[in-house]
Amino acid sequence: MILTARTLLAAVRPPYPYGEELVGQFLFVLKLSWFPMTISTFALCLGAPGLQAAGILSLFGNLDRLGGFFVVTAVRFIGPIVVAVVVAGVAGTAITADLGARKIREELDALQVLGVDPIKNLVVPRFLALMVITGLLDIFAVVFGMSAGIAAELLYQQPLGGFFSTLFSNALVTDLAASVSMCSMFGAIIAVVCCYKGMTASGGPAGVGRAVNQAVVIALMGVFAFLYIFTTVLLATNPELQAIR
Amino acid sequence: MNRALTGWLDVPRDWIDSFGEVARFGARVAGLVYSGRVLRYFGESVRQAGILIFGSALIIWAFIFILGLQCGVIGAYFNRSIGAPSLAGLFSAYCDLREGLPYAFGYILSAKVGTGIVAELGAMRISDEIDALEVMGIQPVTFLAATRLLGAWIAVPFLYLAGVGVAYFASYLAVVDQVGDVSSGGYLLIFWTYQDFVDILFSLAKGMVMTTVIVLVGCYYGYTASGGPVGVGTATAKSMVVNIIMVHIIGMLGTFAFYGANPRAPIGG
Repeated sequence: MILTARTLLAAVRPPYPYGEELVGQFLFVLKLSWFPMTISTFALCLGAPGLQAAGILSLFGNLDRLGGFFVVTAVRFIGPIVVAVVVAGVAGTAITADLGARKIREELDALQVLGVDPIKNLVVPRFLALMVITGLLDIFAVVFGMSAGIAAELLYQQPLGGFFSTLFSNALVTDLAASVSMCSMFGAIIAVVCCYKGMTASGGPAGVGRAVNQAVVIALMGVFAFLYIFTTVLLATNPELQAIR
Repeated sequence: MNRALTGWLDVPRDWIDSFGEVARFGARVAGLVYSGRVLRYFGESVRQAGILIFGSALIIWAFIFILGLQCGVIGAYFNRSIGAPSLAGLFSAYCDLREGLPYAFGYILSAKVGTGIVAELGAMRISDEIDALEVMGIQPVTFLAATRLLGAWIAVPFLYLAGVGVAYFASYLAVVDQVGDVSSGGYLLIFWTYQDFVDILFSLAKGMVMTTVIVLVGCYYGYTASGGPVGVGTATAKSMVVNIIMVHIIGMLGTFAFYGANPRAPIGG
């Protein structure tokens, strides 16, 4: 919490020395995450909503409804979850391991002695990079989730027209905006937890490993708790999301 | 900047590289368990199972509880949107048991147990304790990896089945008490109609395969860690990448194998 406040303060207060590091971190996270993210979203969307829901819908004979169902699951639920789990597991662990290693080698103390603020130069760029990148990855997660839906539809040998028509008639900007903003908040949670755990690592070789372990557990718990609260509030306060078209 | 991975294609390449070695290591460890050689250290296995239960059970169940709430909320509002709020039980029965639970279990297990094993074994490797074991005449793979796998096999079925109960309770809370479109009896009727014992076995099978893979990946990365304190952290992070992909692929293949040809629903022909 204190780290969050200090990070936000340091992010808006001039000077802004973190531009280069921000780009570096952004590319670093993107390089690490894109492959697990695509595979995971495709597999999860093909298995869970794709095959299970298509199985039920094919019993009713209305497989074209799968598009509407995918708006509910892939955009509102699975996209953000997969992005959060992948970013926490891949980028979050890498950040904790990186910062923890610097802490163990006393590089962070050395930075402070040199008059360089570690929060401004190390935490802020990671925080901003993760916030931006989780939002962007969410778009890609939705795209790959939809392609998994198309694959499921093709597996049941259905024409795709029905899928697309229910998909587009049910998709709302509110859904997508909520999904993306939710993902950005996930990024913020993950970044703060992982940076904090990395910067407070101690206890030799076992310490860094243990810090990574705790960081990923706490980040996942925080993300899921936030997801539940956000979904509840979103669905309860936006009745227009509750009508099928 | 100590960056292990710098190119765009490094993650998939690294994953393919390590896949074969993980498989070989895993086959060795599983062979040790199956051939019964691990039974010499049965006490250690029981101790590992105990650590798993006391250290991770609450976290796992808390995570599953949140997933159950989430399934319930999504299901309740989705069924309201198609004008059939009384069928919320269908959605939560599928979401909890068939799909959501194995994935949630896999996520939290790879986060808590998988990385925990890497950190622990990696620290032992770095401080040369594994070599010391070998000098003392104790097979390190048997004593460290095989006992953990057997311990997980002992403890996880019970953790998982208790987790099923936790998720059911959470979904019930979300659908009946929080959203409240459907009465308790109406929810439970649909809920129990749309599952049977075989579904639980399928779900448990998915969870057990994920557990086995996660423990083996954790043991492999911990056992082969190198490069000082930094190396342990990097190995922990890498194991998480492999685990996430494996959890999703196992979940998808499980769905294909168990439900692909037959939706197993009590409707239609």
